[in-house]
Formats: sequence, C-alpha cells, structure tokens
Amino acid sequence: MKIRFWGVRGSIPAPGPDTNRYGGNTACVSVTSASGELVIIDMGTGLMHLGNSLMTGAFGKGQGKASILLSHTHWDHIQGLGFFAPVFIGGNQFTVWGPGPYGSAEMLEEILEGQMDPNFSPLQTLKNFSATFEVKAAPTAGTFEAGGMTISAREHPHGATTALAFRIEEAGRSFVYASDVGQPDADAPPSPEAIAFYRGADVLLHDTTYRPEDQATRRNRGFSTFEDAAAAAAAAGVKRLVTFHYDQDYSDDDVDALVATCRTTLDARGGKDIEIVPAREGDELDV
Amino acid sequence: MKVRFWGVRGSIPVPGKSTNRYGGNTSCVEVRPKNGSPIIIDAGTGLRRLGKSLMEEAFRDGKGKASILISHTHWDHVQGLPFFSPLYREGNQVEIYARQRDMHLEAVFSAQHRAPYFPVPLSAMHAEMRFHEVIEGARFEIGDAKVSCTRLNHPWVAIAYRVEVDGAIVVYCSDTAPFADYLLGTDFVTQAPSLDGPLSPETEAELAHMRAGVINLAKDADLLIYDTQFTKEEYRQRPHWGHSHPDDAIQIAREANVKQLCLFHHAPLRSDDENDRILAEYRSVVAAQNDKFTLVSAYEGLEIPLGDE
Repeated sequence: MKIRFWGVRGSIPAPGPDTNRYGGNTACVSVTSASGELVIIDMGTGLMHLGNSLMTGAFGKGQGKASILLSHTHWDHIQGLGFFAPVFIGGNQFTVWGPGPYGSAEMLEEILEGQMDPNFSPLQTLKNFSATFEVKAAPTAGTFEAGGMTISAREHPHGATTALAFRIEEAGRSFVYASDVGQPDADAPPSPEAIAFYRGADVLLHDTTYRPEDQATRRNRGFSTFEDAAAAAAAAGVKRLVTFHYDQDYSDDDVDALVATCRTTLDARGGKDIEIVPAREGDELDV
Repeated sequence: MKVRFWGVRGSIPVPGKSTNRYGGNTSCVEVRPKNGSPIIIDAGTGLRRLGKSLMEEAFRDGKGKASILISHTHWDHVQGLPFFSPLYREGNQVEIYARQRDMHLEAVFSAQHRAPYFPVPLSAMHAEMRFHEVIEGARFEIGDAKVSCTRLNHPWVAIAYRVEVDGAIVVYCSDTAPFADYLLGTDFVTQAPSLDGPLSPETEAELAHMRAGVINLAKDADLLIYDTQFTKEEYRQRPHWGHSHPDDAIQIAREANVKQLCLFHHAPLRSDDENDRILAEYRSVVAAQNDKFTLVSAYEGLEIPLGDE
C-alpha cells in the first residue's frame, strides 16, 4: 500500500510562510492499495486538495469509489468534506466508516449532517451531494473491509471524548493511524491494549501534537507528545514511526526540533532501529 | 482609526506556498478606533492570530473588551471564534453582533462549540459574551462608533456593515453576488441558473432595492472592502454561489463615491501571482476610467489608517 499526506496539522488550519515545509492543512491521509483502491483517513482541509487531484481521474467522470475512515468528528477532522469536489459528481461512491455513538450509523450521519446546516454551510444537507455517500459505524470488534484491505478499529481516549485508531492490513503489511490520542494521566505507561493494537506495525502514524511542556498545561485536551509516541512505538516494536497532527502554533523550525528530540527519545527507549518519518504535506510513503 | 486585515480568504483556509503573500486565513478584519476597543468584522481563521495579538494588551489581564460584527454565519466567517484566546480569560467582554437567524444567535454559536465537534462548550468560555441580533437597516453604537447595516445577495442572507468613527468611514461588504442577475434566498440551487432569461418584476425590484441599500451604505466611504471572490468569467459559471467580481465592485465604488476600494474574500485556489495580476489589471481599468478612488487588494497584515489616527 502507498500512503500520502494531504493534511498533517491539528485543531485548525495554520497558513503562513512558517508552515510551508510541513504544511498547514488539517488531518487527511490517503492509502492506496496494491490494486489501486483508495482509502481516505480523516476529512480535514487536506481533503480539498486530495479531491482536486482525484478529479483528473475516474472521480472526474463519476466512476470513482473510495472508503473514508473517520477517527472522530471534531472540526479539524471533518471540515474538508464540503470542499471535496468528487462528492458533487454523480456516480462516484463513498462509504464513511466512523465512530457511531452507541454503534449508531444514523447518529454519525446526523453529526456529519450538522456541519451542512444552512446557518453554517450553503450546501444545507448531505443530501445535496450528487455522489452516493453512505455512512456506517465502524465496528470496534473484529475486522471489516475497505478498499480491498482488512481494517480494524480501536477506540482510545481523546479529552472528554474518544477517537478511533485504525489498523490497515494488506498482504502481510500493516499501517496504523492513531491520531488525537489522549494521555489522561501524567507518567502513565502506554496502554497495553493500545500497544497490542499497534504491535509490529510496518508503519505507526501517531499523534505528536505537543512538546511535553505544552501538554503539561493542556493535558485535558486529549493529545500526545512526541515522547508518548516514542514510548508507544518502542513498546509495540513497530518499524517506522510517523509524527503527525502538529500544534497549530508550531512553526516548521519548531517541528524540526520536535522530530529531532523524538529521535533522541526513541534511541533512549531502545528504539534505535525504528525509523522516524515526519509527516509532511505532499510526501508519500510505501509500506 | 486603523483597519487591519487578519484573514482575506473566502470559503476555506488555504495554507501553502502559493498563498504566502496574500495569506490563507479566512475572513477577519480589525477596525481599531483611536480611543476605543477593537471592532472586529467576521471571525474566520484570521481571528486566531488577532486574538493572540490582543492577549498582549488588556485582554491578557482579563480587562479587554471587543465587539465582533458577523456578516453571516457560514463557516469561513465564524470558524476562528473557538480559537479566539481572549474568550478563555475571565473578565474579558466580547459582544457579538449578527443578523437574526431562525434560532437565537447564542444557540447558533453554541452549535459550533458543542460536542462532538469541539471539546470546549460555549458555556465554558470564561469571558463574558453577549449576543446582539440585528436586522438589515439597524443602526447602533459601539463606543464612539456609529454602525449601520444593509442586506446582501447571499444564500441565507448576509449583511454589510458601515462603521463611522474618528471622522472616517469603513464599509465591509462581503459576501454578496451582484444585484443584477439572480436573487439568492433560502433555496439550495443545484445547477447554475441561466443569466440570459428575464427576471420577474418582483425579483428585479428586490435586487434593485438591495443594490440601492449597498450604494447608500457605502456612500462617501473612505474605504470599501468588497467581496471579489470571482473573476467575471467565474461568476458567470457560479452566479448562485453568492459572490461578486471586481467589475461589479468597481461599479458600486464609483456610484457610492468612495475614496478607496479593497478587493477581498479571495477564492481559495487563487495564487498570490494571480491576485497580483487581477490587481494590476483593474488598476489600469480604474486609471483609464479616471475613477477618483484608489484600488488595493487585501492581504494579511495590510494596515490602512483612516481619518484621525
């Protein structure tokens, strides 16, 4: 499978010259299977640019099909949807797998519908999409299939709420997407269930929103530091760690420093063999 | 007063190299009277940086006061509010003015803050927030400033504001379609309507009334900030989106006898170089017509002093 980063920023898009290198768009990652099927993870503002690039292919002719895995419905993970050009082309087909409250797909659809409320959006309702747009509750037990790949989902704490992590498997290769991972207790070891979910992944993309000093004053917001990510990567014995969901106030130089310190931390935790891949808009990664 | 632009983009924030000079943040303009608290127009993502800068003043100590005039509540005009630092400091006062909706304004803004969309509810903001519902034609005062407003041609209604203070007038006119071809209301329009057919007499009269309201609001303004999201050609393809173009803005500026016209609410995919070209093209138009006003294009950080500073 091939991964591409379309949005790597947390909370709110952060335009400006000082975010040019890593990018200022909010969370959106695409995963293309060996046979060319498309899975999109999260619908931050990066989704608009993914959509525009898709319009030159089958999606521009109304012959496209993709699954969308949604970690949770905070704005920075859904705000690109109304600007995703392929949903306005009849014939395209989308299936969203996301966190249905109490397992309810109807409630998840209603939450996505809320974004299109006419007070806020000229689209007024998801029903104005021309493409097929099916919303399903992602099961958190067992596996399901998307884009011809095998997916499992796990719920983790995220501030006052929860978010889903996804593990995507294809032909013995695995990619785990774990963004917006809350660390409610200071100095607590990584959760054994989380480590089991990440275990042995070829690529673990993990929330690295904060430097430790910034998390200390904002722990209740439900984000990880690069130290939390390094601890999880080392404990789970993954091959590569992708840093992701950088704080909106961090400049490119800040993120450079965050990644460098993450390297030192990982080495100190016995993760010398784990490669760090900092997520940058436009970069691709073969798994 | 000073007018400073914090977000000049329409629809959606667009980070990236091609927007470095004009900026990628959505709509937010600060009007700062010589003696008085800031009057902010629209709360797009530009409001986040404005909030950070205000926290270096009285707002840091919980002694700040700001008023925010909202043109309408589409995302690109409100999405910065949850990231406005002064709201998280007790003692600050924030007055929000927006057009009356089908539910109370506080409920509209609460919806943006509620779970599962945002982690901190509006009720948990430490600052004192007050909501003021206005309708087109309303006149009110904020400190020494006189504010008036009129209706624009935009889906679900937007309003333009005129702020008069320190012997100068600034008028903010975004978002609006031209008042010639199509009347936007509460219906969702799936296909671009034809611009060739005749309008019904009622529609024509309503558009003419709206246009007269805008000309009157902008009359003799020192600065008119105007929605020019589209080029003329783009507008003809999407007349139902509720945005205008420079030719229309120039015509309005001419009839309203303004001193300066500012192109604003740039399309998200408009690069800096394209914005440069559009500005140069229309500066020659204005020069060739011997227009009395000057033409600028809004960019993040642009500061325009007006009247008594």
